[in-house]
Amino acid sequence: MERETVLEMKNIIKDYGSFRAVNNVNFSIKKGEIVAIIGPSGSGKSTLLRCINGLNSITSGEMNLKGTTGMVFQHFHLFNHMTCRENITYAPIKVKNENKADVNKRADELLKMVGLENKGDVYPAKLSGGQKQRIAIARALAMRPDLMLFDEPTSALDPEITGEVLNVMKKLAEKHTTMIVVTHEMGFAKEVADRVLFMDHGVIVEEGTPEEIFENPKSERLRSFLSSMLRA
Amino acid sequence: MDKIMEFLPFMLKGSVLTVELFVLTLVLSLPLGLPFALGSNSRFKPLSFLCKVYVWIFRGTPLLLQLFFFYFFFPLKLGVKISAFTAVVLTYVLNYAAYFAEIYRGGINSIDRGQYEAAHALGLSRGQTMRDIILPQTMKAILPPTVNEAITLVKDTALASTLAVTDLMKATTSAVNRMTDMTPFFFAAIIYLIMTFVLTLIAGKLEKYFSRYDAKEEW
Repeated sequence: MERETVLEMKNIIKDYGSFRAVNNVNFSIKKGEIVAIIGPSGSGKSTLLRCINGLNSITSGEMNLKGTTGMVFQHFHLFNHMTCRENITYAPIKVKNENKADVNKRADELLKMVGLENKGDVYPAKLSGGQKQRIAIARALAMRPDLMLFDEPTSALDPEITGEVLNVMKKLAEKHTTMIVVTHEMGFAKEVADRVLFMDHGVIVEEGTPEEIFENPKSERLRSFLSSMLRA
Repeated sequence: MDKIMEFLPFMLKGSVLTVELFVLTLVLSLPLGLPFALGSNSRFKPLSFLCKVYVWIFRGTPLLLQLFFFYFFFPLKLGVKISAFTAVVLTYVLNYAAYFAEIYRGGINSIDRGQYEAAHALGLSRGQTMRDIILPQTMKAILPPTVNEAITLVKDTALASTLAVTDLMKATTSAVNRMTDMTPFFFAAIIYLIMTFVLTLIAGKLEKYFSRYDAKEEW
């Protein structure tokens, strides 16, 4: 059975003044698919992601999104004046008008899933970066989005705590959550993604399975990017 | 000393009026500042222009001038008689709303863009974002300058004594005149100090409340 397409983007262009951040991108993702987007800084990866959920408007092109998105930011952006539980429950209650008891029950499950069941009543300021990001993931999931967007979710974290966030994302992958992950974590992309996109200068330069991208890079640009990532 | 005891009830009655003036002004101008703050930040240019002109006028002219303007404006230009007390409250509310608007605007602009983006990503409306996400987080930042203005207001109420309003200041000067003695000034100073001290106490409590989500040393 053919899986349904969640998002389809055709000839997407995003300009900032005279700078073309995203240049004629064609892209689609199916339900349950996990796509990693890699590429050097300023290659348009994050801009593309932000076009999907409307944080950036597209300059031209056609986008067809079936369903809702959830977003996880590099710098978490938790609501500082709310406890972790309130961060998770606010939107389902206030935006979707869901039943409070149901939402609270879901918050319990999500807190457990991200391994922070004892942090529900704590304010974000008391959490480490890795814990904040896990709460941010729970907050996004609480809205039951059809597509999860991760914008460099571990880039602001110390190397030794990226694992706790990546592990939560792997759990989501096992549950076949549809995700697009902009990342510098090559290991994660290789292990978890069904498909990897390599972007440079606003263009998708190469696209393929993790084996194709990491074992047999075709373009010179991807080869030099991968070797620079190895050196780092 | 006997003489001051004779005038003290009169001064305390003036103090009650001063407190009334203070509370009424604060209760009305604190909320009125918000639409002007949001208006100043609006992307709709005519609105933000109007709000900025409003703030410019009320911050840029003497409060005493505004006081006399409104006191005379209603009977002379509109043919409506209003009491001196009403004219004073009206002037103070309009004047203080301008100051509060600027404090709020500063507070709103100090909030990280990421908070708006997270709210947008979760599907919050602009109203929900402002009311439930942005404004609550500005409280801690705007509290100290707001308290500062409130303390200034306690003292600014004394300007009302230039009109036919028998506030603490007016009661004090007439006591001094009749007693031909300066003691009432000291009593008035003590009463003003008590008022501002109470304000400072309340501010301290509020500051603690709005800092509850800070990390600080409570680890």
